[in-house]
Amino acid sequence: MSLASTLTEKAFVERRRAEWEELDALTRAAASKGLRRLDTESIVRLPPLYRSVCADLAAAQAARYSAPLVDYLRGLTAAAHGVVYGPHAATREDRDRARLRHAWLVAFPRAVRRRKPEMLLATALFFVPLALGLALASRDPAFAFRVVPEAMLRPLAEAYAKGFEGGREAGEGALMAGFYVYNNVGIALRCFALGLFGGIGSAFYLVQNGLSIGAILGYVASQGAGANVGSFIVGHGSLELGAIVLAGGSGLSLGWSFVAPGDLPRLVSLQRRAREVLVIVGGASVMLLMAAAIEAFWSASSVASEVKLVVGATLFVLVLAYILLAGRSDDDAGDVPSKEEARR
Amino acid sequence: MSEPLDTVVAIETPEHIVFHYRVAGPARRAFAHALDLLVCYGAVTLLSVLVFLVVAGTAFETGNIGSTAKAATGLVLVTLFAAQWLYFLVWEGATGRSPGKMAFGLRVVTTSGRPIGWRAAALRNLLRAADLLPIGYVVGLVSMTLSSRFQRLGDLVAGTMVVAPERARAARPLVLTPPAHPRELAMLPSHPSLDPEERAAIELFLRRRHTLGVARERELAEMIARPLGERLGVSHEDPSRLLALVYDRAVNTGREEAPRSWRPQPLAGDRGGAR
Repeated sequence: MSLASTLTEKAFVERRRAEWEELDALTRAAASKGLRRLDTESIVRLPPLYRSVCADLAAAQAARYSAPLVDYLRGLTAAAHGVVYGPHAATREDRDRARLRHAWLVAFPRAVRRRKPEMLLATALFFVPLALGLALASRDPAFAFRVVPEAMLRPLAEAYAKGFEGGREAGEGALMAGFYVYNNVGIALRCFALGLFGGIGSAFYLVQNGLSIGAILGYVASQGAGANVGSFIVGHGSLELGAIVLAGGSGLSLGWSFVAPGDLPRLVSLQRRAREVLVIVGGASVMLLMAAAIEAFWSASSVASEVKLVVGATLFVLVLAYILLAGRSDDDAGDVPSKEEARR
Repeated sequence: MSEPLDTVVAIETPEHIVFHYRVAGPARRAFAHALDLLVCYGAVTLLSVLVFLVVAGTAFETGNIGSTAKAATGLVLVTLFAAQWLYFLVWEGATGRSPGKMAFGLRVVTTSGRPIGWRAAALRNLLRAADLLPIGYVVGLVSMTLSSRFQRLGDLVAGTMVVAPERARAARPLVLTPPAHPRELAMLPSHPSLDPEERAAIELFLRRRHTLGVARERELAEMIARPLGERLGVSHEDPSRLLALVYDRAVNTGREEAPRSWRPQPLAGDRGGAR
């Protein structure tokens, strides 16, 4: 290697500095303002500048220029790389309204159907303990106290026994809506996240929630307010309980992808499955937000229980039909992988 | 060039340029996280105080406190939910860094060095619930110590890592002061052969020598200058000066002009004024 044939560092810096500074200014502007807000000329200028600075870094390393110079160029390249290969290409599509509609009408229900075994298992893990709790608690109220504290159950039963003639005033409704968002969506998200440990966390949450909901219902029914609590829960039940099952099923699926990764390395299997079920978790969260609104402002309202029953049944059919049928027409066309997936 | 330390991750760009990211360790991330918690729950507290002041104010006028206060509690619960689940997700999805990370110079990137998108941001922050277990991020900490890139479980699943990118300012090239005396130039070999490590060591020394005491500077310089001088056949009464001279010659021998093949294609829209 003959150093003599390369450009001296000083000459190199003098010659190239203008472009480095230009790229530096551009990346800083892009980082602070966002790439979108740069003018067209700057955006057009960015890729060729980035490539030429990449070449400069390679040249500086090959010529063994001083460490600070190489460090500077490295930092500059790294920062520009972050801007040039930023997520803007993907989010451009993500932000598209059509894409959002696609997620709702096609991707979400289809993702649920693709993970059918896990969803069925989640349904069983949730509803079998629920039925069990219901049966045991309605026969023997003392059982309910073992699952849910008595101090919580008694006022609950009294409240339901009163019925909904008075309705719920708006302030109370807003309070409960806030509580449902905080509590229920939190439970669903945790139920998904803890599935990471082989699905055990999700299974635990599903069984625990199923059992305690069953016990509450059974206890309240045993105190003679069964019809009231039934008309209360029927409105939002399909959305709320359905969403918990979906979130739990996603968690089970996540855990199972690690336990039985098939041909993939475990971590890769986990990463792919997580990306796949993320849309289910998002969908379940939105379902819970809807359920929170219904539960707070409709379920406890003074509307006649027959009307509540009809509306609840209709909603149940709609939710089920949506999960089972939406996006089915082009099922066999195969999923178009999103940009991010295609890149992997 | 020496091998990078293991807290450094090499990223190869599509241009086949390799650059390095320093991976952020648990301590720095914990500080950033503490700051984030402070910011986020501070905002929630502030909001709730404000809301209840307004409620108390209106109640003073209307005499009806119950309903509004309940609605306000509902609002606070929603913000509490947002603080728990949405704060990190939205910040990292939109900018790749939460305010705490910003303050500590951290950034979340994918393991291939790209900025993260919304999906990765959502995954790594949803799975925070798993890392939090059983208390105070113990699971996350164990995962970080076991993974090669300090990744907690959420990072592993989302394929992300937290790095501390450094933007070095262009360092001033070393200038020989005072300029070499003709007598000094005459004694220097025309192409002193320094290997890259020697060169880097001398450079480091020259950049830092002003922070040393006179005696210490001489002592350190002596250690390299003597063997180097013997090898190159030069000697100088001041070993620091000798190093500076040799370094200057080694760095500044070469062409002032680029070889023809050096840049195959001129840049589109290049000013070209320098040529």
